Amino acid sequence: MSVDDTSDKARFAEVFLPHLVDAYRLARWLSGSRADAEDIVQEASLRAFKSIRTFSGGNPRAWALTIVRNTSYSWLAKNRPSAVVLTGDLGAAAEERLERADASDPAPTPEAALIAKAEAAEVRQAVAELPVPFREILVLREIHELDYRAISEIAQVPIGTVMSRLARARRLLIATLQRGEP
Amino acid sequence: MTVSEQDELLLNAYLDGELDAMEAARFEQRIASDPALIGQLNTRKALSAALRSDLDEDLPPPDLRRRILAGLGEGGRSGDKAPWRAMAASFLIGALLAGTASLGLLRSSPSPGIADAIVSAHIRALMAPQPIDVASSDHHTVKPWFNGKIAFAPVVEDLAADGFPLAGARIDVIGLEPTATLVYRHGNHVISLTEMPRAGAVPSSLTAARGYNVLAWSDGKIGYWAVSDTATDELRNFVSKFQAASAGP
Repeated sequence: MSVDDTSDKARFAEVFLPHLVDAYRLARWLSGSRADAEDIVQEASLRAFKSIRTFSGGNPRAWALTIVRNTSYSWLAKNRPSAVVLTGDLGAAAEERLERADASDPAPTPEAALIAKAEAAEVRQAVAELPVPFREILVLREIHELDYRAISEIAQVPIGTVMSRLARARRLLIATLQRGEP
Repeated sequence: MTVSEQDELLLNAYLDGELDAMEAARFEQRIASDPALIGQLNTRKALSAALRSDLDEDLPPPDLRRRILAGLGEGGRSGDKAPWRAMAASFLIGALLAGTASLGLLRSSPSPGIADAIVSAHIRALMAPQPIDVASSDHHTVKPWFNGKIAFAPVVEDLAADGFPLAGARIDVIGLEPTATLVYRHGNHVISLTEMPRAGAVPSSLTAARGYNVLAWSDGKIGYWAVSDTATDELRNFVSKFQAASAGP
């Protein structure tokens, strides 16, 4: 084992490994499955290790999440090409659901109460139905609690797009969960 | 109950802590008198809580880290086939329980069990977010930090002038005994220097284990083990600088 190789591993252990839980969560929300998330994180780890020398000392968490996000995209495109929507359009079905939700105009309090009662599996199912570009922004905000700027860098979209996608993703989830079915 | 698209963005930005103090205060005033906004705000809060409700169970399997490290050995650069890091944790436990070296790794070491455990502690420290419990380059901070944690006064030297700045210290437990470990940086490398009160029991030696060099010596009162992935010459250089500094004027 060369000295360079050993120090790359030490650097990888310092920069990437502390964010394994974050990495796994992002991959799981994006892929919708624990097993797929493991595959994605393994692949992302290898990518991170190979490019560890390009990490120049910024925010290691954002760096790690960017690699996981990009790996998730390529993994999904390769392994789930038909099931996954990678475009920034919400899709006709989702648009229609939003319109119906807006039209039904429910009272605010029951809405919040219904959502609070939602089961974790129900929430995951609702999130899984969001197109990936909406899902990733929602997850980076809600699960990883990143600010808009960091999200815009990781997802490689302008902050205005982060805001509009986040708004639509939330509105759609609320519409789905308050109905109790997708 | 719907709100305008503009208000929706504002509501989200408020909830996400993206408004500055003035904007937030102004928006709070508006919320207070607008039931539609209150409703939307509460709904979004409930949504956040629902999304975060099973975070405690949303964890990678415990052996994912080990598999990743093992995968680096196979898919990493050529010439490296040993999933050495993967074994670090079990290695340390094994060394502590058995009190003996993993066979064949430290053939020439005079006290293989200890050297093994010290390398394991070093590896473990590198895998943690920080290889140190107390971060300080000041030996006046580091030395008292050990008070009450270990049963002797370790020798602490800052070697920044020699290119080995002191980064801090930690406690390693070697063979069930808490020991003082100083952490130095040298370029991209980390050097762990573990001290134990083992008078004369440590013949000077240089061994290599799993890609790490271990230099051991004794000053008659304390036994020292320096561990690093830095080159042998650099480690020798470090040790001679440390010995010179601790020998006093």
